[in-house]
Amino acid sequence: MVSRWMYISLVILYSFLLGPFIIIFMASFGANANLAFPPQGFTLDWFANVFETSQFIDSFWVSLQLALLSTIVSLVMGMPVAYALTRFQFAGSGLVETIFSAPILVPGLVIGFAMLNFFVLLGDMQVMTGLFIGHTAILFPYSVRVISASLRNLDPYVEDAAVSLGANRLRGFLLVVLPNMQAGIAAAFVLGFITSFNNVPVSLFLSGPGVTTLPVSMLSYLEYYFDPTIAALSTLLVIFTVVLVQTAERVLGLSQFV
Amino acid sequence: MPYLEIHDLTVSYEKNKPTLERFSLHVEQGELLSLLGPSGCGKTTTLRSVAGFIKPDAGQILINDRDYTRLPPNQRDIGLVFQSYALFPHLTVFHNVAFGLRMRRIPKDEVYSRVANALKMVGLEAFADRRPAQLSGGQQQRVALARATVIEPQVLLLDEPLSNLDAGLRVEMRQEIRRLQQQLGITTLYVTHDQVEAMSISDRVVVMNQGEIEQIGRPESIFAAPETVFVADFMGFDNHFTAVVESVRDSKLTVNWGGNPIELRWHSKFGSPQSGARAEIFFRADNASLLAGREASGLAGQVILHTFHGNELQYLVETEVGELSIKQDSASERFAPGEAVTVQAQTQKWIAILEDREQNA
Repeated sequence: MVSRWMYISLVILYSFLLGPFIIIFMASFGANANLAFPPQGFTLDWFANVFETSQFIDSFWVSLQLALLSTIVSLVMGMPVAYALTRFQFAGSGLVETIFSAPILVPGLVIGFAMLNFFVLLGDMQVMTGLFIGHTAILFPYSVRVISASLRNLDPYVEDAAVSLGANRLRGFLLVVLPNMQAGIAAAFVLGFITSFNNVPVSLFLSGPGVTTLPVSMLSYLEYYFDPTIAALSTLLVIFTVVLVQTAERVLGLSQFV
Repeated sequence: MPYLEIHDLTVSYEKNKPTLERFSLHVEQGELLSLLGPSGCGKTTTLRSVAGFIKPDAGQILINDRDYTRLPPNQRDIGLVFQSYALFPHLTVFHNVAFGLRMRRIPKDEVYSRVANALKMVGLEAFADRRPAQLSGGQQQRVALARATVIEPQVLLLDEPLSNLDAGLRVEMRQEIRRLQQQLGITTLYVTHDQVEAMSISDRVVVMNQGEIEQIGRPESIFAAPETVFVADFMGFDNHFTAVVESVRDSKLTVNWGGNPIELRWHSKFGSPQSGARAEIFFRADNASLLAGREASGLAGQVILHTFHGNELQYLVETEVGELSIKQDSASERFAPGEAVTVQAQTQKWIAILEDREQNA
């Protein structure tokens, strides 16, 4: 009896989780001019429309550049922090660790709003620069945490071993520590990229005239149109994200770090 | 002639609280010397200073008459084996062992033959292509040994190399380490907190406590004749009580044992003891015997507890000098808890230690 109830609740759970995706997925092929379910007819026009709508194409490039740039910068900045946090005990190391998890705990809207105010105070700033700083800031704690996890799995004495065998500190790091951080860095990259690419709340505040990210431009498109173009775009984004995460999981075992 | 010399080494992690203060030690060429002591006694600090990972405040470290004190660790030519093995997880066994040779820019053919030879010495020639994670703990420590010795270092340093292994493997590995060390004739410093391990593997043992050498000597002499209370406790002397010295004659002193005088070997830091001084008496559980009833020849006692250990029975006996732990052959007469017994001293293996400066001055 228990197993039957479990089975039923599982079905309910999954239909709530996956149901909306299925509806969006099916609707994106529907021939109606309005987003409707069940869809009638079959067409790929909405997919074509995605690629013909310049606001999507432009904001896709903004999102892509933004995600790549802020992920890479947050990784470069996060690596030494993660290294210091895992290898050295210093005054306030606990506080530093807490500060680095704070952006995960603070609501994105609050971060976005605070940053907008801050950037306005700073005066003239390019929209792209603001977005870049904002995204780097929210990705930074992820980078630190994921890279820290991969460093914690590495025996700290391997560096001493390398040095005792004749490597200087830098070579020891490059030949022994860095290769063992690779998987962690790659995992942090995938996680950071997706977090940035999908981010709405921070981008919403920091977007400006002519420069906006893909999720934000989808929101504004929805305010004026209710055709299945958005459904088609959503389908493309889901496929893009799933492929990215699955590849990372297969190649790197992402789940051991997150 | 000493090969590794440590002169007046002072190391402090915190200001004015030196872990080592004016610490000196000599290791002979080809000798395996153990640093034995509880955690925090300075043994690992000594080892890491020799390896160059700790910069001493003062003092000198010489190897083969060359001053190593200011030499960075990567130029020291020292083989280091860690408790955690510290193998490089991303490299195969072969490349782990080859690492030190690569750093020395040794030609490829020579690297190949030397690594092959080193792996053969530790019996791992079939495992060259494995990753460390695919090996057992014992095998990993063998790789670490091969990696540390293949560079033909001046000195081999081992930091608690067996602590992560289970008991049976530990015995096997310590024989392996000793065999390899003697085969290569390499001067070795071995850090451990396990007295059995230190006894079985070393040419000489240094017992350390709070940054100071308590005693230094061959394993047999430290085992049989500890010179300080600390060493006696650490060497597993099960019984310890305090007695008043009645008289002293050359190498023996006399104390009272149940109304009878017993003569014991003694050791004092401060010259010959005076009668009336307090002596710390130590003996092992198997260096006393029990007789039934009250006899005039020994100390009266009462059995509190006995436990069975296969070949022997261990008794806990209440006496006027405290509770004594005494082992008897299982075949000998047995005593029940509550029974009155007499404890006979086998005094030739007992030892009296005098540490109280004022009473012995």
